[in-house]
Amino acid sequence: MQWNPETIVAVAAYTGAGICMGFGAVGAAIGEGYTAAQANHAVSRNTDLSGDIFKNMLVGQAVAESASIFALVIAILLMFLNFQGAPLIKAAALLGAGLCMGLGALGSGIGSGLPGGQACFGIARQPAVTGRLTTNMLIGSAVCQTPAIFAMVVALLLIFIDFSRLPLQPGWAALIGAGLSTGLAAIGSGYGGGVAAGASCEGVARQPLAVGPLTTTMLVGQAVAQTPAIFGLLVSFILLFRGIPASESLAPAMALLSAGLCTGLGGIGPGIGNGQVAGGAVRWVARNSAIAGDLMRVMLVGQAVSQSTAIYAMVVSLVLIFVV
Amino acid sequence: MAIEGADLIKAAAFLGAGIAMGLGAIGPGIGEGMTAAKACEAIGNNPNEAGLLTRTMLVGQAVAESTGIYSLVIALLLLFVV
Amino acid sequence: MGELGRIHQLLVSIGDYRLAINLEVVVMTWIVIFALVVFGLATSRRRSLLPAPIQVLGEILVSQLYGLTEDALGADLARKYAPLVTALFLFLLVSNWLGIIPHLEEPTKDLNTPLALGLMGFVIAHWAGIRSKGFKAYILEYFQPIFFMLPLNLIGEFAKIVSISFRLFGNIMGGSIIILVVSYLSWNIILPPLLNAFFGLFVGTIQAFVFTMLTVVYIAVQVK
Repeated sequence: MQWNPETIVAVAAYTGAGICMGFGAVGAAIGEGYTAAQANHAVSRNTDLSGDIFKNMLVGQAVAESASIFALVIAILLMFLNFQGAPLIKAAALLGAGLCMGLGALGSGIGSGLPGGQACFGIARQPAVTGRLTTNMLIGSAVCQTPAIFAMVVALLLIFIDFSRLPLQPGWAALIGAGLSTGLAAIGSGYGGGVAAGASCEGVARQPLAVGPLTTTMLVGQAVAQTPAIFGLLVSFILLFRGIPASESLAPAMALLSAGLCTGLGGIGPGIGNGQVAGGAVRWVARNSAIAGDLMRVMLVGQAVSQSTAIYAMVVSLVLIFVV
Repeated sequence: MAIEGADLIKAAAFLGAGIAMGLGAIGPGIGEGMTAAKACEAIGNNPNEAGLLTRTMLVGQAVAESTGIYSLVIALLLLFVV
Repeated sequence: MGELGRIHQLLVSIGDYRLAINLEVVVMTWIVIFALVVFGLATSRRRSLLPAPIQVLGEILVSQLYGLTEDALGADLARKYAPLVTALFLFLLVSNWLGIIPHLEEPTKDLNTPLALGLMGFVIAHWAGIRSKGFKAYILEYFQPIFFMLPLNLIGEFAKIVSISFRLFGNIMGGSIIILVVSYLSWNIILPPLLNAFFGLFVGTIQAFVFTMLTVVYIAVQVK
């Protein structure tokens, strides 16, 4: 049976769209479910405030939905853009785009539901600070979507750049690797950012006066927790834009695919871990805001150490790309 | 496209290196994060002992890091020796 | 589905460069500006102690946004940045709502609009940081916590522009794609208006607020 390139490109586009929306729906749904569960819990504790809690739940869920909306945009683009006459290598790019956006939406989807839930619960505890809680929730939830946005940027690049000058072998591996690198690395960073944001909402309800140091600690912690996703983005860009010599053998292709996998998988753990550090620091800034500076310093040291494995993974990836 | 034995072995070694370092980095990252989170909590409880607590945290993290370093060693061996 | 991504362009060549100007976005942005100017005049023309409903609306908007800016930046800086914050929020709000009127489109659906606003916020935040901390302290920030973090800190700063603009773009674009797809799939007239209300009014308001608050927070992080 003979396949012509157009059929394979179409197959890759539809497979990519399916993977993208399938994975992309998982995270946001879990996150929104968590928000709703906490909202129910909160209503049961303080029935008088059910109106406020309900409003806050809806707003939080609408923001948590963003990650899956990004996945939907990419899936629709993959399905309805016209790829006729595209070279065979486009198939790899489209599959990579679907993988990247689908995996990338997982962590951010779950993570951005956490602040929503904590804010609903916080309203039941401290109704007087509802406004501050909602603002804090929106900021935290929006910032922890940054990894999903990185994934969307890489997916859009994979869809719209013309790769016809890239040799098919080992170019296909570079493109799928580029998608996997950002997509996988975004899982950890997205979830980690959510842990920090959730702790911040909890903290605002506990100690409304400390809202300034709480927001600052949360933002710094989230920014550091996003570093693994930035490593993933960096490796993706190197894989996308570095000219690759054609080669008939399998080894260079596996090296490039493996480089993407390595930074991607390696970013998951440090992303989650950094988020937990930031969450712990934020939680204790709320209890003892006088030592916010000390806590921030310890948080940064702890995060730097916990990031070392992500750096090892990136070093191995760079060796795989440039040395081998 | 003819795939020879030596090429296949090289390809498998490269793929293995990536997977080893990638998966191996997940555990230490999460574990060290938990350590540091607890250290923040402890310093919040007892700010005067911040130096001692930071030292304990760093030693604990260094031990937790060892599996990550094993992964790195195996990945580099797969890349350059095998 | 041919409507997806079809735009009217005006190509201007300057030397070797060809500038592609998206006419729809420019016209829609003018409509937004015009609507805001009319709203501003209507709220402030006839001021009185017994305010007319439209004046009340304007006062509520301004005082709420002023309060939010004051929470994040403190009383001194709020006087300086609250007008910017209010203008940014109202512009984004009307832009995101524009799509619910037939034949009009959200200017924020084109990546260029959020990107320009994100760049504006970025420049203002860093300018405010240099003003308040001094140039030397501002540069030293990039070497925290250790000196070799410089490239990461730089990437992190530029990632803020990318994330803030793509977040708005992705949400508005996603909403309009969903409405387009559903209008093609179903023949009823109930679902598209409801989706319009959800994505145009609800998500549009939240994303306008998120964009504005993030700009304020970026300024606050630089100033502190």
